[in-house]
Amino acid sequence: MSDAWHAACPLADLPPGSRKLIKIESVDIALFNLAGTIYAIKNRCPHRSGPLIRGFVDPTGGIKCPMHGWRFDLRDGSSERPAQATTYPTKIENGYIYLAFPSPRLD
Amino acid sequence: MRLEQVDQLIKTEYTFFLQEKKDWSLTAGPQDLELVAHALRVLLHARTTPDFLPDYLGLVACQNADGGWSPFSADSESTVWVSAFCGLMAIRGNQFLHHDGIATSVHRAIDYFLDTQKQDGRWTDPRWADLDTTSHPVSFFNVVMALGEQHRRAEVLRSWESGARFIVDNQSADGGWYDTDFHPSGVEITAHLIQDALIADLVIDQRIKAIRESCTKGAAKLYEWQAQDGSWDEENVDHTMDCTRSLMVVTRALASAQGEEVILRGLRWILDHKNVQGWGDFPGMETNLERTCDGLDTLLKYQAYRQTNPLEVVKLWGYVA
Repeated sequence: MSDAWHAACPLADLPPGSRKLIKIESVDIALFNLAGTIYAIKNRCPHRSGPLIRGFVDPTGGIKCPMHGWRFDLRDGSSERPAQATTYPTKIENGYIYLAFPSPRLD
Repeated sequence: MRLEQVDQLIKTEYTFFLQEKKDWSLTAGPQDLELVAHALRVLLHARTTPDFLPDYLGLVACQNADGGWSPFSADSESTVWVSAFCGLMAIRGNQFLHHDGIATSVHRAIDYFLDTQKQDGRWTDPRWADLDTTSHPVSFFNVVMALGEQHRRAEVLRSWESGARFIVDNQSADGGWYDTDFHPSGVEITAHLIQDALIADLVIDQRIKAIRESCTKGAAKLYEWQAQDGSWDEENVDHTMDCTRSLMVVTRALASAQGEEVILRGLRWILDHKNVQGWGDFPGMETNLERTCDGLDTLLKYQAYRQTNPLEVVKLWGYVA
C-alpha cells in the first residue's frame, strides 16, 4: 500500500469553522477547517465507533468524540486514551482540498 | 403512542437483531465484548436467554485468569467497565440457565471487583470516566445482593457501599455528575449513575439515606436537559436512549409520576429517528448494531414500564427478582 492524493472537495465547500463528511474508498472521513488549516480524520472513534464529525472541537486542535468523550489531536490522531485515531495529510491545490489516502499499489 | 405499535416494532427489530448474529455472538468467533454484553441484555429482556446457552458458555470461556474480561474477547488484559457488564450478564443470565460453570464465573468476577477497587471507593478504567466506571461494579453488586448471592457477602456489602458513596459524594450541587475529560455535558453520566448504581438501593435495602434525594435531583437534571423535541445531548441517539431508560426505572422506584411526559417525549423521538432497520448514533446516520441493541432494550423496557405493577420495569435492571 502507498499513499495517493485524492480530491476531497472544493475549498469553498469548507469555509473556516466548518466541517464536512466525505467518503473515499468506502471510508468515512471527517474534514475540519480550523482557522484556515484543513484536518482530515477517520470518522469513527476507535473507542466505540462514535462519529467524530459530530464531535466537539477545541481551540488547541483537538476533537472530542460526542459519544464518550475521547479526545484526539487532529494533527496526528494522538490521544491520552488507549487508542490512536487515523488522520490523513491534506493539501490545497487550485482551490481544491486533497488528502493522502492509502491506495493499493498498481505494480 | 400505542403499546401495540411498540410490540410490533420489537418483533421486527428482534428479527433483524438475530439476522446480525454473526457480528455479536461468541459462537461465531472472537468478538467485541461490549457489543456482546449489549446483545446478551437484549436476549435477557426478550426472555430468550435459555435458547442461547452456548453464548453464555462463550462468555465464561473468554473470562481472564484474574476474573475480569477484556474489551475484545481474544485479549487477556481485563478492564473494569466491560468486566462489570459481562459479569452482570452472567449473573442475570444464570437466573434462567442454572449452570455451574456460569455460577463459578460470577464468583470469579466478584473476586476481580473486590481486588481492583481503590481506597476511596472508585474503580478506574482508561476507557471510561471514573464515575461511569465505578457505577458498573456497583451495578453488578446491586444484582449480586438482590439475587442473594453469598460469595464473600460481607466484603461485597462493604465494597458496594464504598462505591455508592463515592458516586453520591461526587454529585454536583445542581444534581448532575460531570467529568471534564469524558463527559463535560454531564447528560450520559448522570443518566448512567442514577439507573445503574444508585436507584437500586431504594428497592434492595436502603442502606444509604442520601440516595433518594440524590436520584431525585439527578432525575430533575435530566428533565431540565431534555430538548424541546424530546432528545438529549444535541440529538445523540445513545444518550437519549440512556436518559429515557434511566427515567423509567428511577421514576418507578421513586414512585414519581413526574417523569411520564418526559419519557414519552424521549421515546417518540427515538421512534421518529430510527432507520428502516435499527438505529444510528445520530439521526440520518447508518445503522449501528450496538445502538440497535440499545433501541431494542429501550422498547422492551417501555413494555415493562407500561405494566400496572411499578416493579415490572425495575426487574429489567435485575434489582428485584
